[in-house]
This record gives sequence, structure tokens and C-alpha cells, in this order.
Amino acid sequence: MNRSPLTGCLLATLLACNGVIDEPAPTSRENPVDLPDYAPVAPVLPRLTQAQYRNAVGEVFGQPLPGVELEADTNPYLFTNIGGATTTLSERGAALYDEAGHTITTAVFADPARRDALFGCTPTAPGDECVAGALTHIGRRLFRRPLTTEEQERWTGISVALADGDAWRGARHALAGMLQSPHFLYRVEIGEPMVDQPGWRRLDGYEMASRLSFLFWNSIPDEALLEAAERGDLDTEDGILMEAWRLLEDERAEDAVQRFFAEYLDLGRLDGLDRDPETYPTFTPTVAASMRSEVELLVHDLVFRQDADVRRLFSTRETFVNAELAALYGVDAPDADAITFVPVTLPEDGPRAGVLTTAAFLSMNAHPTETSPTLRGKYVRERVLCQTVQPPPDDVITDLEMGSTEGATLRDRLEQHRDDPACASCHAFIDPPGMLFEHFDSMGAYRTEEPGGPVDSTGDLDGVPLEGARDLAALLRDDPRVPSCMVQQLYRHATGRLEQTSETAAFVALEERFAESGYRFKDLMIALATSDAFRTVREVSP
Amino acid sequence: MTKKLSRRTFLRGAIGGTTVALALPTLDAMVGTGARADAGNEPFFGLFFWANGLPWHAKHGGEQAAAGHPDLWTPAGASAESPLLTELQRHRVSVATGLQPHTDIPGSPPGQGDGHMRGFMVGLTGDRIRPEGFDHPSHTLTALRPTLDQYIAKHPAFYGDTPTRFRSLELGISQARFHDYGHWNGISYNGPDSQNLPIHRPSQLYAQLFDVPEDAVILGRRAQLLDAVMDDARSLRAKLGATDRIRLEAHMDHLGEIQRRFAIGAGTCEAPPIPGDGGSLIQQTETMASLLAVALRCNLTRVFSLMLTSPATTHAFGNLGVPDGMHKTCHDGHWERVRAISEHQMSAFARVLDAFEATEEPTGGTLMDRACILGVSEYGEGWKHGTRELPVVLAGGACGALARGVHVREEGGNVAKAHLTILRALGLEHESWGWNGGDTRDHLPGLI
Repeated sequence: MNRSPLTGCLLATLLACNGVIDEPAPTSRENPVDLPDYAPVAPVLPRLTQAQYRNAVGEVFGQPLPGVELEADTNPYLFTNIGGATTTLSERGAALYDEAGHTITTAVFADPARRDALFGCTPTAPGDECVAGALTHIGRRLFRRPLTTEEQERWTGISVALADGDAWRGARHALAGMLQSPHFLYRVEIGEPMVDQPGWRRLDGYEMASRLSFLFWNSIPDEALLEAAERGDLDTEDGILMEAWRLLEDERAEDAVQRFFAEYLDLGRLDGLDRDPETYPTFTPTVAASMRSEVELLVHDLVFRQDADVRRLFSTRETFVNAELAALYGVDAPDADAITFVPVTLPEDGPRAGVLTTAAFLSMNAHPTETSPTLRGKYVRERVLCQTVQPPPDDVITDLEMGSTEGATLRDRLEQHRDDPACASCHAFIDPPGMLFEHFDSMGAYRTEEPGGPVDSTGDLDGVPLEGARDLAALLRDDPRVPSCMVQQLYRHATGRLEQTSETAAFVALEERFAESGYRFKDLMIALATSDAFRTVREVSP
Repeated sequence: MTKKLSRRTFLRGAIGGTTVALALPTLDAMVGTGARADAGNEPFFGLFFWANGLPWHAKHGGEQAAAGHPDLWTPAGASAESPLLTELQRHRVSVATGLQPHTDIPGSPPGQGDGHMRGFMVGLTGDRIRPEGFDHPSHTLTALRPTLDQYIAKHPAFYGDTPTRFRSLELGISQARFHDYGHWNGISYNGPDSQNLPIHRPSQLYAQLFDVPEDAVILGRRAQLLDAVMDDARSLRAKLGATDRIRLEAHMDHLGEIQRRFAIGAGTCEAPPIPGDGGSLIQQTETMASLLAVALRCNLTRVFSLMLTSPATTHAFGNLGVPDGMHKTCHDGHWERVRAISEHQMSAFARVLDAFEATEEPTGGTLMDRACILGVSEYGEGWKHGTRELPVVLAGGACGALARGVHVREEGGNVAKAHLTILRALGLEHESWGWNGGDTRDHLPGLI
């Protein structure tokens, strides 16, 4: 496989890797004059994620729909869209699509009122005008573009061939087939040639509609968006802007944005969170769900309610707690109960600020019995700063054996670890920021003592000495790598692939527009939607 | 009676008339009977995988030797008996010890010597891991070629013209995984970036095996519908680059397999009671194994993989008094805990073989007589990620082709020899096996 996500790593290294051992090389991004012009890269063919499939059938057939099993998503490089674009469907995955197509259409057709409403007419014979018209109309929604004549004939034809005397039966089968068509299951975004730019292709209106709706809704376009495509509105920046804002102001955008943040912040790791009952007797499975809700409320607050500087995610003292999180954080929240979250402002002189001091981050980057400065530091490096941590050299010993250091603190053991030159290169990079969280145990509760002695949460970030997580939050508030990383993560999510060097100019432009907007996330999404990098692909030789 | 007809012949026939044209004689000629007269006479292959190797001992390397723990795995003599094999012994399993990966370790990108990934891929494919993916944070674990189960399931000589209803089944028990990156929760690969994620719940396996409409007319319609789907892909294919075209074609090929299954129909296998999900790791293994035994006895498949725990698993064996996930427990050097977990994992393996031993074949004997099962982990031991002494268990008689209860030892030997032993036991002759420095022409002596 030639087009692996790895091909994009050049840029990741160029932009993000400060080098674990080497000094950072001066990058062209610091000297914008030297930036090569943007050039598009080859298109990818993402298969719909589970959520996209479910959202799409919900849009077309309405609710309720029966639950169907689909092949599990994978998320290489954090994002399910990259998994969908790089992996091959398994045979079982294909069989599940087949089952799902029949299960969903059978449920819809079992209710005559619902079926009639979907079709808007009553057929008198298999494949008649009513059936053909409805299939063409529904097919346009599912395929996100008008059906070709050949496709219309194919699906109408199959509705005749399989009717067996019952026009509805034939029609239902045709829809179950369309739900398995690659034109529905894959996002085909291959563009049309650009006369003035040989080798470039510009996404056509319908492809742009699809891109926009998957970005803003994680679903297929609505009728209005398809009409905008048909009118040619999406061939212009103004038209795209108009539709992008419309989508973003729709309530469906919230779910899509939350899903991006959940993948970027890795909230899936809270599922199945478990703590050793002896070390953490107060742990309950419900607390993990509360932790997740807190982060979602923070995202909602910054992106939608306040439309504020989203960098504050890493430094804000405002957060949301229910009763069990209030108890965990030791804050007063009299109106909170098991399911009611209330806004609280954490004390100015307290230990917490930002998402990196939420129980979600602290517990998912910890072990059932003890914390993990390594996991926490790695998360800061890789997810928040988009840096590359080099893998350990081959056959390096990566354990933290208790042995002679029995009774020592985790810090002592980690420091011993770093004495080994083979380990030192990575751990000197990861551990110092991770140590800053040592005042928080594996559930995210504040502590002053740890097994082996009093807590010492001093550490550093790139040589800047820090006392603890609050200091890190203050530092991250203005660290240019934070918004730059957010742009990179959103870009990967939106395109289903890693960025490549030829796109650097587009990236820099996006970062500038993000900064100009005061780092409002919605503005970043809009800037992305109108970026050349979102609208063009390279010609591929078949 | 075994005249081979193409799928196209069948489908054109079906479209030409009404769907009732799915006459049985045509079907038989095309797909085989689906329930063979000679069922019970051909071996089946199974892959049993457990995570994180075995408790470390002196043969794993210098540091492991310095820790001073005994070797509980390697039998002292020529029969396969040792403390950790206690539960497996009742099924007269054979073991090969001393084996390790022989593949090259490219220097770039770094990290390709990692025990989990190298040991796992070499142990299951005979080739090194696909080099891409070592750049963090992905840790993309992916194969260069099919794992042994898929290689066998698609080998033209294994099923010949009469594949069973499922070429293979992929099952898993523990859902714990090391990374949330999705590639670490399965062990069966068709090739690069093409994985068969396991079925984790017995109820899902039950549905796949037994929830099949009995009406051939309904199945015939569904088969015909897939033809239209394949036709719909045609216009797209020409527009794609090579990689995506291959992905799309693989997807469409799956539809052909599904059509083949529809043509076989529900079959005559008597469905067992609907199983419950949940329970302990051992209980879930037993439930899954009993369903699998029915599938094998009814010849619904002849290849399976069963992942007890995923590579580098974080599964917490709280029932054994182990407070942390297994991967961390290994790294922290808790030898006694790893010993307890290993006994437990071998006990689960034995439960699978129990279910096979308890299943009598229509032609006499039990499933164990036909079985050819490779039990393997990702490396020798998890404390230092040592790839020496990769554990290899060969269970079952492969219809008389495999010697049972035997211990063979080859210190530093190539693990690909175990693969070649299995292929030859299954009658799939290969001159050599293994890639990128890991190739061999030899099977293990004394086993076939």
C-alpha cells in the first residue's frame, strides 16, 4: 500500500517534532517567505464511520430505527475518519452492512404510514413511476448527488426483478441494496479537472456539500445543501461560507464538534475505566461517565455558548460538576446532584485549571493502582502540543521494577529509570511535564501524600521549571503550539488523512485565520471549509 | 455431481426466470453441498492467542536469568509435561520450545524490534511487521501479509471447490486492549490494513451461525440484490487510485462470499440453545467454545481464530488478586502474578479443547482428532518483552497427521518452522515459509 498515512509524516516532523534528542531545525514555517506554494494531495476514500452511517440513515428514514450492528471503527492517528480511509472492510463487515440494510428497510416498510410518507405516492405496479421517482429522490440523499441514468435504471430494475408480484417488496429491496452501494458507504471526493491548474482537481458542488455536511454534522447533506450544490453555490467561497455557517448554527453541529473533541482528547479511553478497589474504594463505574460529561460541557461552553477563545480549554478555572465530581474536587456545589451538573469557578489559589486537571484526563492517563507521569506527559506532548515522541530503541528495558527501590515514590523510580541513557532520551521528554500532575491520584483527586512519601509535583516543560499543573495551564494559555496542534488535529479529522508537506502553506494560512478570529473554534472550522486544502485534490493515475 | 459452475451462471439463471429458479441441483453444483458427505474426515485449523507470553526464566536472557525464577513451561523430557502445561496435558498437546522470530529488524523507522509487535507478527504471519506505524502516537499494528488462519482459509487447496459456509470465524474473549487505536483488538489479518475484528459476544456468534432465514426464495432475492451492488461499484472503480481500488475490490469480493452463503442456505445444523453473554473470562471462553464446537461439527467452518486476550492486553485479572492490567503487571516485574495469570490463560485454552474433546463427530471420534490448533502468544515473556522462547502449542491430531503429546526443543530455532509444520500437517505442501530473514524450509522434527 503506497498511500499510507506515513507519507504525511514529513510535515508532522517538520511542524511538530521539536526533536527528542536533536535541536529543532529551523522550519520554513518560521520564515513564511520561504513557504512553497500550496499543492493538493491525492484524495482518499473514507468509508462511513458507524456514527456517520447511523446519522445518515436517521436523516433519510427518520426515527425510530432498529439497532444494527456494524463493523467497529478503528482510529489510527486518533481519528475514526482516518481508520475509515485507510482500512479495508472485512467480510463480516460487509455481511453486517447487508443485514443492516435489510433490517432498517424492513422496519420502515413494516409501518405502511411511514412507508407511504417516505415514498409520497403509492405504486400500482413494480418499478412504476412512483417507485422510480422515490428511488431517484432517496438515492440522491443517500449518494449525496443525483443518480446517473444508469443508476436509476439499475435500482428501478432491481425493484422490478425482486418484486415477485409486490411492488413494495421490490422497492424495499432496492433501498436495502442502495444502503450497501459503495456510493453510499464511501465518501467519493475526487473532484473535476481545473483548466488553469494541470494536475489539480476541484471538488464539485455535490462533493463539497458532502465534505461540509460530514465536517459540520458528521452526516449527509440535507435537501437545502444539495440544492445549493445544484445551483452552483458551492463553487464559490461566498456560497460555501453561507452554507457552512448555516450548518454550524444548526443543532446537529454540536454532536459533530463533540465527536471531534472526543477523538482529539481520547475520551473513548474513559469507557471501561477501572480502578483497583483496594486502592480506590470510592470508585464507581458511573464516575467515568460523569468525567466525560464534564469535558463535553466544557467544550459546549467554550465553542457554542460563549464562542470564546478555545485555547482556554487548557487554562480555564470554570467548569461543570455533578455531585460526585464536586466531592472528588472538593468544591461546593449545593445544586448539583447525581445527574445535574452546575457551573463552578474553581478557586484561584487551588490546584486545578483547564482540561488537564479534570478527572477525565487524570484518570484515563493513570493505572488502576497508581498514577502515570509517563502517560500524562505523553498525552501533553502528543495530543496537546502535537509533538512526536520517538519510540524506545530496540530491546530497551521499559519496566519500573520495584526491586531495590521498594518503598520509593514513583518519582524516585522514574528518575532511576532516566539514569539509563537508553531510556533517558524519551523519558526526559515525556516525564517532566507528566510529573506536574503528581498531586492528583488515579481518580483525579487532590493528594499531598503518595505511597513512599510526600508528593512533589515539580517538573518542567522544555526547560521551563514549573511547580505543578496550574503553572502548566498558565504556560499553555499562550503557547503557540497549542492552537497549531488543534488546527492539525481538526485537519486530520476533517480529511481522514495525515497532512503532507505540500499543504504547509494552507496550514499556515489556517493558523493565521484562527489567530485573527481570537481562536474561536467555529471560525477555525469555517476557515477550513473555505480553504483550498479542503476544496482541491490532486489528480491520480488509475 | 461436482461440476463447477460460475457464480454468474447461477445469477443469470435466477434473473432470467422468477426467483424460484434457484433450483437445488444447480446450487449443489455451484457451491458444493454445504454439508459434505465426507464431513469429519478433513482437518480444521485453529489459532489460539493469549497475551503477554509466559513467566520469565533464565532461557529468556541475562536479566531474566538474574531474576532467578524457575522455568515452569519447558518440559524436561520428550513428553509435553510441565507445571504450566498441567491442564493442557489431558488433551495430549504437543509443544515446541526454544523458538523465536528470525526476521530482520530494520533500523528505520525505529522501534521495529518491539517485542509485542515483532513477536506477534512473526508468530502469526511468518513475516515482520509492516514498517509503517511505528511513529507515535499511532502505534499502528498492522501486518504485511495474512495471518496463518487467513492464509489457510484462502488457500486454494484447503477448501478446494467446497468451502464451508464460513471460510473462517474470528472470535475474541477479553475486550481489554492496550491502545484505544483499534488495531490492537484483533489478531486476524488479510493483509496490510485489512483486519478481521473478532466477534466478542457469544450472542453475536450465535446470530451469525444460526439466525439464517430458512426460505431459499428470500435468500435468493438477497443474493441477486448484491449483484446490483457490485454493478454499482463498477463506475467507481475506474476513478480510483490503486490503493483505494484494491480496498473497493476486496469489499466487493466479500459480497461474492455472502452470495455463496445465501446459496448454501440455513443448512441442517441443529442450533444449540441461545447462549448468554457475560460471565468470567473462563465462562465466556466456555460459552464461545461450545458454539464453536457446534460450528465445527456441522462443518460450518474449518478455520477459526480465538483471541483470549489482545496483544499487550490491559486486562485486569482482579479475580486472581492482580490489581493492575496485565501489561503493566508484567512490566512491573510481578513474576508470581504473571505466573497466576499464565495458569489462568492456559486453563482457558484447556476449556476450549475440553469442548472439542466432548464433541463427537458423526463419523466417530471427537473434534480433537481433526483439530490442528496453534496456540501462541506475542513473545516469550512480558517483563523485558523478550522474544526468545516464544511459546508454541500444537493441539489435536489433524486427522492423524500431527503427533500428540510430544515436546520438541530447538534452542534459538525459527518460529516459522511451526507454521510449516502446520501447513504440512494440513496437506498444504510448501517448499519454504517465512520472509525477510525469517524463512525456513524445515518443519519441526518429530511432529508430522
